[in-house]
Amino acid sequence: MKPYRVWILIALVVLVPAVQASAAEPYQIGLSAAITGPAAATYAPTFDAYKAYFKRVNDAGGINGHPVEILVEDDRGEPSRAAANAKKFSEGVIAVVVASTSATYNPFLVESETGKIPLLFGGGVCPPRAFPPAAPLVFCSTSFGAQWDSRFAIGFIKQRAGGKKVKVGFVAQNIPISQSEMVFAKNLAGEQGLEALDVVVVPGGTADLTPFASRIKESGAEWVLSWAPWPIEIGVFEALNRIGWNGNYLLYAHQQAQADLTRLKAPNLLGFGGNSFFSENLPIHRQIIDAVKGVTTHSPDFMAEGWVSAMVIEAGLRKCGWPCGKEKLAQALTSVSVDTKGVRGGPIEWTTDNHYRKNTYYKVSNLFYFKGAIVSVADWTRLEVK
Amino acid sequence: MQTVAGIIVLASLYVLLGVGYVLIYRASRVLNLAQGDLMMFGGYALFAAATSVAAAPLVAIPLALAVSGMAGFLIYILLMSRMAGHPVFAAVLVTVSLGILLRVGVVLLFTDQLRYPLQVMALTNPPLHLGRGVTVSMIDALSVTAAVVVMAALVLFLRGSTLGIQMRAAGERPLLAAQRGINFQLLFALSWALASLTGGVAGVLYASNVRLDPSLGVFGLKAFAVALVGGLDSLGGLVPAAILVAAVEVLTIRFGNPLLAEVSPFLCLLAMLLVRPWGFAGTREELERV
Repeated sequence: MKPYRVWILIALVVLVPAVQASAAEPYQIGLSAAITGPAAATYAPTFDAYKAYFKRVNDAGGINGHPVEILVEDDRGEPSRAAANAKKFSEGVIAVVVASTSATYNPFLVESETGKIPLLFGGGVCPPRAFPPAAPLVFCSTSFGAQWDSRFAIGFIKQRAGGKKVKVGFVAQNIPISQSEMVFAKNLAGEQGLEALDVVVVPGGTADLTPFASRIKESGAEWVLSWAPWPIEIGVFEALNRIGWNGNYLLYAHQQAQADLTRLKAPNLLGFGGNSFFSENLPIHRQIIDAVKGVTTHSPDFMAEGWVSAMVIEAGLRKCGWPCGKEKLAQALTSVSVDTKGVRGGPIEWTTDNHYRKNTYYKVSNLFYFKGAIVSVADWTRLEVK
Repeated sequence: MQTVAGIIVLASLYVLLGVGYVLIYRASRVLNLAQGDLMMFGGYALFAAATSVAAAPLVAIPLALAVSGMAGFLIYILLMSRMAGHPVFAAVLVTVSLGILLRVGVVLLFTDQLRYPLQVMALTNPPLHLGRGVTVSMIDALSVTAAVVVMAALVLFLRGSTLGIQMRAAGERPLLAAQRGINFQLLFALSWALASLTGGVAGVLYASNVRLDPSLGVFGLKAFAVALVGGLDSLGGLVPAAILVAAVEVLTIRFGNPLLAEVSPFLCLLAMLLVRPWGFAGTREELERV
């Protein structure tokens, strides 16, 4: 054998596996979600959305030639499990995604700061550190955000009241973020010339919500605003309905809203939210429906939060290139602009000091009997987040 | 008046659940801590019947109740009868495990999404205006009716039927009853079937009125407090206990701090244990057995 052929052979033996190994090396992202436990109905769909989303991405060749590997841990919405997951993710992953209850946030925030790991909240409520001025490593793609949601909701009620000083009741769950949001909304309502009633705080897991509903009804509330986990929001409305209350009920339209608005067919139930309903049947909705077929037991409209969160991660990784470390990814995320293709009212754009979004969009929907379908009461409204 | 209506409706659910604790305790001295989970099981039985067999309520509801009753019977035959001769606390631990197994089984079969059997059966739950500003839902009214019917039927059964009298005898004088040749296995199995059936009734009503989710069993713990306040071996004490506990709970929400509402049944229990440990109508001697 001629010497140059020997060298080619040696080069092939040494380099080909190295190139293959490099091509196969994945981007590793940690995902901690409440896949089981009392909050699973809200957060488990995010896990399914991630599975479906990155299967598509990987099947199409990955990102920058590398597959994305999602390392999943179930935290059941419990702080102790979250702490264990945060420790587990502190080595090896380049970013951590949290889709769980706010009670689990602290261990991730601590671990993120210690290990300099970018942290994305995708499905659970956005922590204050994602809002301007944002902490360098904390990001949030979730559609709902404290204070901005109430600003929109109170403005909507005021507009609907048409200058009348209507009585507005507030429903929160006994978790700090929900309670403080409804206190904020109550103060805002007072400032805006509405008659703000007391905030009714409902313990999570309460089986019978009728006494809470009676309290609201007897206070004379004409409007009720609720910003809480879905079972409380919708549960109090149903309890009010059962005792014959006729006012208007405005709630944050979490992912379960489409199913429940359709089920209840209540003209006085209005949902405002940052995600479009799948009943709009946009191309992106059809794409999600196809992607999650056979992957989840949840309805495709439960995938919106997880899907958007996965879109953001994909955009960050594309920008980060290869190799992509924690620091480089954090840097990349601070300037992403993600076209959500209609899942949201506009793009998710982050800047160095705003990791929530430059603009947030809301739409209000309800279900009219005569149309038999969910319809928008008001089209997208943009609020600038400063 | 709306507050009073709310108290009566809540009390009726406590009665339906509490009956199960009393029946099993009277017969076998076992505290069935899976009663709340049997309620949840009844609700899911309705959902399963409505989605897989027939959505017609006249088929789905009786089927769900039959499955609930049969489940109690089988639990005794397959599980609890094997605990005979073991300390009572071992049997109680078995019921705790049973509750956990039921919850896990439901999550595996139905996932943890919220379910609405009423929607599957294409039924509505309209508000009923009872005058004086009182409004309850149709199923609230049915819950109260069901509690009255179940209590009346049980009193008639225990006082008027041979099996009922044997059940009382087995509970009150087990040695004498055994000497008379009473079939204890049958009576215990029957008490489990009846407890599971009444739990199933509560589950069907609650699931139709509110919703269905695997954490529903927690409701059973509050009913356990009700059964203890009434006196664990007394059906008669159950009704005033249910009204008292429901009243404290509802009034706490209406006029006090709603966050205390979830613990109010246990505050009632604590107060009762300090004042009258055997409950409203329980027997003093029974306390030693607990």
